Amino acid sequence: MTRGMEQMKWGRAITGIGILCVLAGATVCLAQEGIAVRAPMVKGSLPADDPNAAVWSSAAPATFPMSPQVHWPNRILEATVRDLSVRALHDGTNVAILLEYVDPSEDPDDAAAIEFMVGDKKAHFAHGQPMAQVEGGPVNIWYWKNKDAKGVDMNAKGFGTLSVQPHQDVKAKGAYANGTWKVVFTRPLTTGHPEEDTQITTGGFINIAFAVWDGKKDASGELKEKGSQKAVSSWWYFRAEAPPDYSGYYYAALAVGLAFGFQFILIRKLKKGQSV
Amino acid sequence: MGGSLLKPVILIGIVYTILKFVVPNIPGSAPLPASLIFLYLMLTTSGIVIFATLSGESKDAFWGPIQRFLTGENIGSLQVLRYGVLLLFPLIVGWQTYHSTATSDAPPAENRTIHPAPPGEYTGLSNPVAKTPDTIQQGKGFYAAFCSPCHGGKFDGKGPAARGFNPPPANFSDPTTIAMLQESYLFWRIKKGGVGLPIEGMPWKSAMPRWEVELPDEWIWKIIMGEYDGAHQSPRTWE
Repeated sequence: MTRGMEQMKWGRAITGIGILCVLAGATVCLAQEGIAVRAPMVKGSLPADDPNAAVWSSAAPATFPMSPQVHWPNRILEATVRDLSVRALHDGTNVAILLEYVDPSEDPDDAAAIEFMVGDKKAHFAHGQPMAQVEGGPVNIWYWKNKDAKGVDMNAKGFGTLSVQPHQDVKAKGAYANGTWKVVFTRPLTTGHPEEDTQITTGGFINIAFAVWDGKKDASGELKEKGSQKAVSSWWYFRAEAPPDYSGYYYAALAVGLAFGFQFILIRKLKKGQSV
Repeated sequence: MGGSLLKPVILIGIVYTILKFVVPNIPGSAPLPASLIFLYLMLTTSGIVIFATLSGESKDAFWGPIQRFLTGENIGSLQVLRYGVLLLFPLIVGWQTYHSTATSDAPPAENRTIHPAPPGEYTGLSNPVAKTPDTIQQGKGFYAAFCSPCHGGKFDGKGPAARGFNPPPANFSDPTTIAMLQESYLFWRIKKGGVGLPIEGMPWKSAMPRWEVELPDEWIWKIIMGEYDGAHQSPRTWE
């Protein structure tokens, strides 16, 4: 092999490695994270009454691990639901959130809830209970129970303060099939009650948490999970996606153009300088 | 070509190796942040450029090969590498620009302080319970009943109830948790729980119960002894 050929081989290899690095960087950035529910914007109406609508597939599911509620009494050391899959969509006016989880039996007392913080103050995920060194805010809870077949809009700021709002903005519908619950919650993105309801603006991340109750009864006829005995998650993130913003690509294209221009002028100047 | 450029490249390589691999191993030293290494390499490069351009001859010897490479005159088979560099440079500039202007798709970064400062009244308290095999055993029993669902029977933070919580329950066998803390710190954390944390500890996320409403202080002190013993760690002391 001649020296020239060898150099050419090295040149190609280095160029290839460089391009691979750029592509690898892009792939890492595109990978989905499991810590946030992202609600893409859809045209047309939201599938508020249909947990099985085809349009749900346009939202990527985020899966959250669930724990038995061990944080405060009455505790439970084992809960039925261990994972919750969440999808969400919005149409610019309303938001729809689909919870999906495995539950071996359909029971009248099966229930699920979504929790948000209200306003700017941070709220503890366990019913917005008081914190010693931080002034907390209330939580907004969207609740659904199989036998009630409706959504309930609630607030809490500490244990024992759970209350149903006078104005109900949340709708919910559940569908059970093949050992799996699918429950859809819908609400306008914003409401006229910012003191009680979480307000969702597109593009911004807000906190979200979940709870699920298996309404199965044990041998003595007692509910297996009820009240504080449930499966819970701590805070994760939710975002109603803003309409796509392509400005980053425009700026990048402009920068590429400028860099090429800079190279062109530099090389031209160098060539002129050499010929002189 | 290349002879006059080889020395600077080797020099930069040596400086990088020293900063990255030698400095952190000097006793009492620590790994340097990437930004600081970058700054030092920039200073080295500036120094090389100033040194190389001191005289007319050295300037030509230094810039000559770079100019020839960029203009592509008489560089033979390096032409391929030249095209690669000329193509890659604008792409990298574009990529950097995209990342600095595009709206972030990631949730807000959380700089949670894992071990924030305790309130004054909890610093320096010593365990009032005598450390005997009996009391340690009692502590382990309380631990098994109240703590192990999350912190795990093996003290590793992997209890059956841990999975849904973010931040995850502390792993006591990890040398960066209780081994770095005094017993009085654990007493505060167990007694006041997650909601007792200051703002930098993000109390709204913590699932740690406020055990003061359920357990007497004496039990908490015993749990602390059981925890250290079970996790094969010792509390930090000032000696």
